[in-house]
Amino acid sequence: MSQVLFDQPAVSEAKELIESQGLRFEPELDDLVGLYEDGELIACGARLGYVLKMLVVAPSHQGTDALGGLITQLIRSAISAGHDTVFVFTSPKNVASFKALNFRLLVAHDQTALLEHGPGLEAYFASHDSQITQGHNGAVVINGNPFTLGHLGLVEQAARQVDRLYVFIVREDQSIFPFAVRFRLAQEATAHLRNVTVLDTSRYSVSAGTFPSYFLKRLDDVAKAQMQIDLLLFAQRIAPHFNVECRFVGEEPNCETTAAYNKLMAEILEAHAIRCVEFPRILAGGLPISATRVRQAFAANDIETLRGLVPPATLEFLQSPLARPIAERLRS
Amino acid sequence: MQIRRKASAGTMQSSDLMVVVEPSDTLKVEIESTVKKQYEHLIRAQISSTLDELAVSTGHIQVSDRGALDYAIAARVETAIRRASGE
Repeated sequence: MSQVLFDQPAVSEAKELIESQGLRFEPELDDLVGLYEDGELIACGARLGYVLKMLVVAPSHQGTDALGGLITQLIRSAISAGHDTVFVFTSPKNVASFKALNFRLLVAHDQTALLEHGPGLEAYFASHDSQITQGHNGAVVINGNPFTLGHLGLVEQAARQVDRLYVFIVREDQSIFPFAVRFRLAQEATAHLRNVTVLDTSRYSVSAGTFPSYFLKRLDDVAKAQMQIDLLLFAQRIAPHFNVECRFVGEEPNCETTAAYNKLMAEILEAHAIRCVEFPRILAGGLPISATRVRQAFAANDIETLRGLVPPATLEFLQSPLARPIAERLRS
Repeated sequence: MQIRRKASAGTMQSSDLMVVVEPSDTLKVEIESTVKKQYEHLIRAQISSTLDELAVSTGHIQVSDRGALDYAIAARVETAIRRASGE
């Protein structure tokens, strides 16, 4: 009788199985789970944060319920780590397998499918129920690291063109200014605008940091696949729910990645009958205001320059003791 | 019984269900199931009946079901509740 058990495989063992199935091994992970039968690794999968990835079953065991066992371990691991909802980014051919495990398809394109398990998008919408209004609404998606006069200018101009403007602050906490601070500064700076609602993106803004590429054949496909998933999620799921007909962005003169994203955004949004409006950047001292400029001035303790770049709430925070650790990290 | 902390029971394997419970001010039961269209009402009824037996009146109960039979639903829900009550 075969003995089946779950254990944490050696990275080399997992890597071998994953690569044997034509996938790439990504070393960033919080948990790695393996299914063993008679001492042999026949299936494995990993979790990084709330994202499950590199789920593979050896050909000899495909058609059994190995995936169900793996998913159980990974979901339990995710719950212990505080994640009620988990994501899977995978090849579209695997969608049916995950749907059989109660995963719901969020969006897909020819290279990538995104599925989730748990309270997910519905719970996110339910939590913002009271903030949905009918009408011709707009959206901006901002990281706000920190919130600048450039962001404020974008929001003010956009708000004039719509019934309600939703300002989505990126929830992912990978920026030097923590999410809680970024969110609060956005709220305070826009408090005077009656038709502006500030909310967070939750998991539904897919950054390069979140998007795993283990299942993509070529590494040069990754950025585009990630941006497409992010934009499809916005166009197909987020915008319709908030009655958003228009998304506003600032022009991107410097960063190639952002410029590429804006270009793809125009294409994808237009294809979904959502307008995409680019505003010229607000200038200070002849140069576009950017969060990068603000962080530089902040690290250099240049209060006079900061005064011309950020709204009062941000300036107040930057001068407060709470901001000192951030300044130190910027300087190191 | 009182749900005092988050707890889970069960698996995502075929014919089983995974149950996650956590404290809440109200009673909310959320069901995902591979046979949701056909059997959601029966699954819900079994969960309610088990909660009644354990005298649970509040809690957030999430179920991910893969075609479990009634006795399996009862068993997993009860285990999750007992783990959550700290008894």
